[in-house]
Amino acid sequence: MANPGPASGLAITEHRLANGLRVVLSEDHLTPVTAVCLWYDVGSRHEVKGRTGLAHLFEHLMFQGSANVSNNGHFELVQGAGGSLNGTTSFERTNYFETMPAHQLELALWLEADRMGSLLAALDDTSMENQRDVVKNERRQRYDNVPYGTAFEKLTALSFPADHPYHHTPIGSMADLDAATLEDARAFFRTYYAPNNAVLSIVGDLDPEQTIAWVEKYFGSIPGHDGKQPPRDGTLPATMDGESRELIREDVPSRALMAAYRLPHDGTRQADAADLALTILGSGESSRLYNRLVRRDRTAVAAGFGLLRLSGAPSLGWLDVKAGAGATIEQIEAAVDEELARFAAEGPTAEELERAQAQIEREWLDRLTTVAGRADELCRYAVLFGDPKLVNNALAKVLDVTAEEVREVAAARLRPDNRAVLVYEPTPDDSNDDDSSENEEAAA
Amino acid sequence: MSDTPAQYVPAMDFHPQPQPGTPTPWAFPAPERLTLANGLTVLHCHRPGQQLVAVDMVLDAPLAAEPEGLDGVASILSRALSEGTDTLTAEQFAAELERAGATLDTHADHPALRVSLEVPASRLERGLTLLGDALRVPALPAEEIERLVANRLDEIVHEQANPARRAAKALYASLFAESDRLSRPRAGSTDSVKRIDRDAVKAFYDAHLRPSTATAVVVGDLTGIDLAALLESTLGRWSGESREPSAHGPVTADDTGRVVIVDRPGSVQTQLLIGRIGPDRHDPAWAAQVLGTYCLGGTLTSRLDRVLREEKGYTYGVRAFAQPLRSAADGSGRGLLAISGSVDTESTAPALQDTWTILRTLAAEGLTDAEREEAVQFLVGVAPLKYETAGSVAATLADQVEQYLPDTYQAEFYRQLTELDTDAATRAVVAAFPPDRLVTVLVGDASVIAEPIKALGIGDVTVIAN
Repeated sequence: MANPGPASGLAITEHRLANGLRVVLSEDHLTPVTAVCLWYDVGSRHEVKGRTGLAHLFEHLMFQGSANVSNNGHFELVQGAGGSLNGTTSFERTNYFETMPAHQLELALWLEADRMGSLLAALDDTSMENQRDVVKNERRQRYDNVPYGTAFEKLTALSFPADHPYHHTPIGSMADLDAATLEDARAFFRTYYAPNNAVLSIVGDLDPEQTIAWVEKYFGSIPGHDGKQPPRDGTLPATMDGESRELIREDVPSRALMAAYRLPHDGTRQADAADLALTILGSGESSRLYNRLVRRDRTAVAAGFGLLRLSGAPSLGWLDVKAGAGATIEQIEAAVDEELARFAAEGPTAEELERAQAQIEREWLDRLTTVAGRADELCRYAVLFGDPKLVNNALAKVLDVTAEEVREVAAARLRPDNRAVLVYEPTPDDSNDDDSSENEEAAA
Repeated sequence: MSDTPAQYVPAMDFHPQPQPGTPTPWAFPAPERLTLANGLTVLHCHRPGQQLVAVDMVLDAPLAAEPEGLDGVASILSRALSEGTDTLTAEQFAAELERAGATLDTHADHPALRVSLEVPASRLERGLTLLGDALRVPALPAEEIERLVANRLDEIVHEQANPARRAAKALYASLFAESDRLSRPRAGSTDSVKRIDRDAVKAFYDAHLRPSTATAVVVGDLTGIDLAALLESTLGRWSGESREPSAHGPVTADDTGRVVIVDRPGSVQTQLLIGRIGPDRHDPAWAAQVLGTYCLGGTLTSRLDRVLREEKGYTYGVRAFAQPLRSAADGSGRGLLAISGSVDTESTAPALQDTWTILRTLAAEGLTDAEREEAVQFLVGVAPLKYETAGSVAATLADQVEQYLPDTYQAEFYRQLTELDTDAATRAVVAAFPPDRLVTVLVGDASVIAEPIKALGIGDVTVIAN
């Protein structure tokens, strides 16, 4: 496993401004680029009933200008400087990032500071109405207008109880997007967008003293505040109270079996063991489920497991099987259950464990190969686990997990009574004439 | 609604917008070449710090070489290359790749069949051995090929249900003559794929895969690696008789302005794909066209999204782009020019109306110097970032090879971009997107969108079933 490279140790320094902003730096002069990443400790789990999707809608508004930046000026200035940028919203955080040619780093810091301190000077109804429409079209494009597009939302809702902060996904519902007001957005900013609720990481071709001086200059005068309420409690029992299941009849191309298993929280050794279990069972073309369902039984065209790592609620192990022509869900489900039971009883072979660890190592190298990837990971460890330096032990921890630990987590968690199941049955082709009412009825 | 932003007085200290420092010079990396004893051409490029090494193979097996009625055989061959060798079963081969921390991706496209290996530098020899064996002695087992054929047949059903894929299929079918391989799906249709068996795949392998017409591009941190010796002992073991490289026919298309609606009842959005063909990278105006096309639809501050997204909210984003389809050394190749995105169903006709207005205004008034300047700054400035990883450098070098371009092409492209004036960019983009020579494909609910589209006057409207 000896593999020198970024994974074996980033040089990391940490700083904290008087207003509470945490700053993480990591120097690397190989390429003349520098990544800036800002994580705000707010995600869809902080949203309240009737306002799902607000954190993500708000993320869009952060690109609509601030006191010294025109509407869309953020995009124009960064791209005009040869940089790339974006923002994303998840259950647990909202991130904003710019990767700049190294000599344009100061501009990115100025821009991020301007909107952190003065967004409300520019935020108005025009931006709000426009971005509401954009986000609704984002929802249509990514979820509502593609086959199986709402599976993630449906399975998440089945996996967490109705009043749980993770019951809804970051995109939110159309009704709630319609209901959000400008005052909601302002209140959201005042509550969550503060230097003491953020971590700023800067990675790449930089001068640390100069960089910290710039951070102090631009961010130092933004007042911190303590208006933030903690998210609603996400505590749940380690396992689900029996299986829940929903059958969807929709105009999809083939049958599908999807399931979410409740798994340990991100940051624990058991979560790493679960990652290895899911990799062995369902990642890539040498995995057990691929070999069984796609190669041998030939009941599926695709079969895999993914891990949705969550730190404020139990993680989810995500099963996705698309049936081949003629195969039934019963056949597929019986084979999946048989493979999971066998794995729970016998655990991985030494060779399977080695393979899974090599895959995870490669994925880790891949993530750390760019300055932007490193900046995001540093923020992640700082925000979710309190210490960016944990990044340097992350891979070693996965490689340290034993076969018996992998078997144990599979035996305890990858069980039919610890999952939510979504089954897709295609409607016949000739049902297209009146499909809207049919869809609603079937999905109810 | 009467709230104004002015009532919020930010409490922070403001400073003037900072000025940039001194840029560090950067150039697209220049590869070195060598030829192995078996005739395989190698391009290699040392990128310090890039621990994931990328190896991109360009194999001279263009889709136009597929036997008549067997569309998809190149794709099935590409997928079958990782289904075992003379000493490893399909399952064992997949396991060995993963044990090396490697990934192997294959793709059969119009210019060539591509195989891409990514592997940590520490396991490069193992990765190259597996890649070499996949090319040299693939088992091409009959039962796995039967499965790959069945999977492809299922995949076609999924593609048909995906609005973006469905739109691409309809555009290619409309633009190109039926006799041109470009008109038909790259991985084959239900009828052609059904006919593919082990014999067809093996015959295609025998006819087209050989080292003398292949190129390997190797990029990454190659510190301490004797690359020539390592390649000789891995990819160098592949043998095959020498043959003339493939010739590529010229590309022609019918771009009479017209609309094809693929009916998808109940769609909440309409997928748009508006296209025609134009120059490929051999054309001297390519850099100007990239620049002008970026100003038209490269980002959310470009002309299209400035209106369709940021003013009207019709879409999550619409992009204009150019992409080479099939190139030839004599410059007779062409690329696809297109505008793509999706809009909510009700906004379909208004969005197209605005698109045509934007194109006409562009033709009448041209780009501004400020637009050109910002676009050049972005396209040139973002290059070090775009080419930070070994995989992105390798892919671009491999594209150059399959498009018959010199190794210095990309570096020269960036030099040209910085020297272009606004008129050149305007001329190129206006020539690329003439409003009366565009084929518009819409995948959406015809019962709602067809009538308003007919009223736009952008060409005859045909509705086809999904």
